[in-house]
Amino acid sequence: MPSPAVLAELQLGELPLSLVWSLFGLSILATLAAGFVAPLVGSFLLTRRTGFLGIVLPQFAAAGVAFGYLVLPFWTEHLGHLLDPVAHGDEAHLALGYHLLWAGLFTALGLALVALSSRRRDGTDTGMMAAAFAIASALTVLFAHGSPVGDIYVHGLLRGEILAIDEHELEILTGTLALVALGVVLGARHLTRVGIDPDSARVLGDRPLLWELFLALLVGATVSVSVMTVGPIVLFGLLVIPPLVARAFARSMTSFLVLASLLGGLSAAGGVWTSFTFDWPLGPSVVVAAALLLIPALPRLFGRGR
Amino acid sequence: MAGSSLIEARAVDLGYGREVVLRGLDLVVERGDFVGILGPNGAGKTTLFRGLLGLVEPLGGRIERGDTRLGYVPQESTFDAAWPVSALEVVALGDRRQGLFGRRARREKALEQLARVGLTERARQRFTSLSGGQRQRVLIARALMAEPDALFLDEPTSGVDLPSQERILRAVTELNADGGPAVLLVAHQLELVARAAQRFLWVAEGRASEVTADDLPGLFHPTPRAAGGEVSHA
Repeated sequence: MPSPAVLAELQLGELPLSLVWSLFGLSILATLAAGFVAPLVGSFLLTRRTGFLGIVLPQFAAAGVAFGYLVLPFWTEHLGHLLDPVAHGDEAHLALGYHLLWAGLFTALGLALVALSSRRRDGTDTGMMAAAFAIASALTVLFAHGSPVGDIYVHGLLRGEILAIDEHELEILTGTLALVALGVVLGARHLTRVGIDPDSARVLGDRPLLWELFLALLVGATVSVSVMTVGPIVLFGLLVIPPLVARAFARSMTSFLVLASLLGGLSAAGGVWTSFTFDWPLGPSVVVAAALLLIPALPRLFGRGR
Repeated sequence: MAGSSLIEARAVDLGYGREVVLRGLDLVVERGDFVGILGPNGAGKTTLFRGLLGLVEPLGGRIERGDTRLGYVPQESTFDAAWPVSALEVVALGDRRQGLFGRRARREKALEQLARVGLTERARQRFTSLSGGQRQRVLIARALMAEPDALFLDEPTSGVDLPSQERILRAVTELNADGGPAVLLVAHQLELVARAAQRFLWVAEGRASEVTADDLPGLFHPTPRAAGGEVSHA
């Protein structure tokens, strides 16, 4: 093993593979898990013409994480007995439950805003989403600015730096994403039926509102758990781009979901490789890898008929 | 509800919020019926349909459906094209059974329904790549997946060419004639509906009235006398 002084001089790509794996192995696994699962949820956002949520909700979740840091002193003093925000055994990181609480709350706030805005189809809905994204972005920076402890963490989160996570966080992330994937597999038929033609779904006995809530739950869980382990930028890319590419080639809903998931996994793997090879931040690397997949799809996306 | 009745509507008012679109609807649909629903645009045909299907709650009166299984064929243009579904998948979505299990049986049943509308060879094709007439037939096959007692078709021949109109109507007529579901069909093409339906409902000016085939030409092209109320409202 090289000495710390030598390590400090090395580019990430020059580090021994075993060292990279021991330092970032869990984060890489987290990114790959998000890569395979986030596009499944993103596929339903895209087909429901709400692909912009793939950008807005992660930003809300990031604002929630930053807000958690802002209120940390207050929380520790008054509410610490309810949920200890400090991770035991590693005081440099906050406990995952604390992050999850705020990310989840802010994601739910974003989803509620979407539900309210979607009643208006005169442009108010998309306008509100654009405004919400701008506000959530600004608040993320301001919340973090108000918390010296959180500023570095949130800055790294927003830049898409690879984030060190522990085994417990990986378990939570993969466990949640596994449940989300199971939810998509079990609910795909009904989510599709309700999304394509709500009236016919009602005639067949479906309750569209319940399925809307189910989808919101899947989206909320994916976003709030993923955002503080892989960061919002990775989510931006994974929720939106792989489904967009997959839809251009898919001839059925099944092939669409499978292809979107595979392309998401490929984007995550490509992003990890690029990040370590060129010493780029992981988040943008994953998005760039996903964007490269867009190129072969462009003729179909802009062409007439499919 | 009488034994052979599938749907009974008594003194039903239908509308949205407080606005009544259709007043005093009386209608009994029985097994084997083929009801053509006609009327000018915006007269309330769709509201009537939605009320009978249970998609709109009556503002007054009552609608009884008992255990009647309903099949619904919307206008193909209302089907959201953003979904990359195959024709076979669209049909399979019409199955009432829940859950993952029985996928193979569902697929085979969906193929059978596609065969009934003459589209077996299009099963794997993307729904949006089909012609308007083919899409409409796929939606009919989807409705048949639910093994309906009453089949509701909302302007299935609109926007499709004449041969496709004929094909769609022939398919529906054959279904109805073979001891299949009762059919309620909204359409604009008087000649087509007059040939297929046995009963006719004329929807205009907030009322739905049962009329005969002989009344229809006068209603579609009213002379001052016919327009003045030759046909009594139910």
